[in-house]
Amino acid sequence: MRPKIEKYYPLIPVYVAYLVMFLIGRTMPWMWQMVALLAFYCAIGQAFNIFLGLTGYVDFGYVAFMALGTYGMALGITAFYQTGLGIGIIFIGLLLGVVMATLLSLAVGSVALRLRGAYFAIATIGVNEGFRYFVEGAKIWGGSEGMIFSRELKEAFGAEMASQLSTLWADVAVFIIAVVAAFVTIYYMRGKIGYALTALREDEDAAKVMGINVTKYKIIAFITSAAFAGLIGAMAWALKLTYVFPPDVFKIHYTIECIIVVLLGGAGTLLGPVVGGLIYAFSKYWLAVVAPGFQLLAPIIIAIIMAFPEGIMGLVKRRAKGTGWEKYII
Amino acid sequence: MELENITKRFGGLVAVNDVSLQIEAGELIGIVGPNGSGKTTLYNVISGVYSPEEGRVIFQGKDITNLPPYRRAPLGIGRTFQIPRPFKSASVRENVAIGAMFGTLSGKVSVDESLEIADHYIELIGLQTKKDTPSGTLTPTEKKLMEIARALAMKPKLLLMDEAMAGMHPSDIDNMVKFIKKVGVEENIAIVSMVEHIMRAMVGFAQRIIVMHRGAKLVDAPTAEALSDPKVIDVYLGRPSGD
Repeated sequence: MRPKIEKYYPLIPVYVAYLVMFLIGRTMPWMWQMVALLAFYCAIGQAFNIFLGLTGYVDFGYVAFMALGTYGMALGITAFYQTGLGIGIIFIGLLLGVVMATLLSLAVGSVALRLRGAYFAIATIGVNEGFRYFVEGAKIWGGSEGMIFSRELKEAFGAEMASQLSTLWADVAVFIIAVVAAFVTIYYMRGKIGYALTALREDEDAAKVMGINVTKYKIIAFITSAAFAGLIGAMAWALKLTYVFPPDVFKIHYTIECIIVVLLGGAGTLLGPVVGGLIYAFSKYWLAVVAPGFQLLAPIIIAIIMAFPEGIMGLVKRRAKGTGWEKYII
Repeated sequence: MELENITKRFGGLVAVNDVSLQIEAGELIGIVGPNGSGKTTLYNVISGVYSPEEGRVIFQGKDITNLPPYRRAPLGIGRTFQIPRPFKSASVRENVAIGAMFGTLSGKVSVDESLEIADHYIELIGLQTKKDTPSGTLTPTEKKLMEIARALAMKPKLLLMDEAMAGMHPSDIDNMVKFIKKVGVEENIAIVSMVEHIMRAMVGFAQRIIVMHRGAKLVDAPTAEALSDPKVIDVYLGRPSGD
């Protein structure tokens, strides 16, 4: 029997990658924005992987959870900025964001997760679009004009601190979220949940006959993944940009990016979202600088997927089997 | 276990028609019947994949007709599939461990304990050398063995085997029959084995044989008696249509 701590060794390369990124960003201030962008994609990949990677289900409405996280933070700040709670309002905002994202995922999951594969994917597209038009049409939370709260933020914290929150702490928080999401991923993978999810991903009917309550485990993965999305939305979008605009936060484009990051790196692997996030975000950033206007990103992604059908870490994992690296890679 | 007047229809097709049967603890039963005679549907009704239109499924005195499959398995109903359904990306050991983890009634078997249980059954079935191989890469026969180990790890009281011996070499079949009988007796498992036409396995294995034909139970009798029943010979060899 392997000792317990060894089960968590695969976190080492993940955390080393985050640490290196963080240190580069802190020591070279001109790099911080790029590093923050990389961390954002790693974090959403890590969060989305908990659902897509572990269950094999594709949620095309994933961005709705990030959107709700963003609204949660916006509501928290605008409602409590005069209370003098200081940094407390950020935590209230985070909490609201997570709770709202979790509630939506529970509502969507308990209905849509009874559907299989493609039917689930189709249902979730509807949820995202539906929710966006609901917000706009019912004129809740500022309706189609969204919410701008830079003034409230300045009033609560002062100009200096408000700017610090947006340009530094929001990004640092994204790093922390990515670190926690990676831990939760491996905690699930190594536990009963992981075995149940593997079984249902491979063969749902056989899993049921083995005594696995598949709907329950799918919902657990779905909610966890959604809660992280809410956190990321609250930090990387609301606190960083200090506004929410429905067409931006409900953009299906971000869901697609999440899917690309996870598949590029290797769905269901721990390091995959980090590798995928780095490659995707770096290519996107760098190509916009060196070859603006040329649509090179798509061909690059297609080429990588062709070369690594199971994602980059999928192949690496297979190669590492039986070697000394095995226990660090999953 | 008891089936009371089970009828299962798919649209206009009656797959299982008014079948009743009883299985006692530790019994070894063979279900025989040609393709399409309703054997697999019967298994699916017992394990909860389908719910019957009519009739009741009673297990250890409890009516489980409306229980979903994931709640039946822990009560002690294990099964293997006609076409093996391994959890492909998981290793043999992990596959068997999944059976131990979720298929027992207490539901409190930890991951590490399950892996130990898995090791035990893998050794029993003789797949030690393939323990860490992804189950998707096994040969069909190995997959079947793995499925049996996976089902045994659930500590079933009733084990339903679907064509477990199809495609196996005759000498393997003999070994398999011996093995299954031994486990069934040792762990007091009622085993139902279903085959299309491997009588060789049935003769050596079953105490009682149930012959299915067109969704109905044709014969239910001790092995020797069942095999010499003229109705069985009819089903298998046919008879001139004018007769």
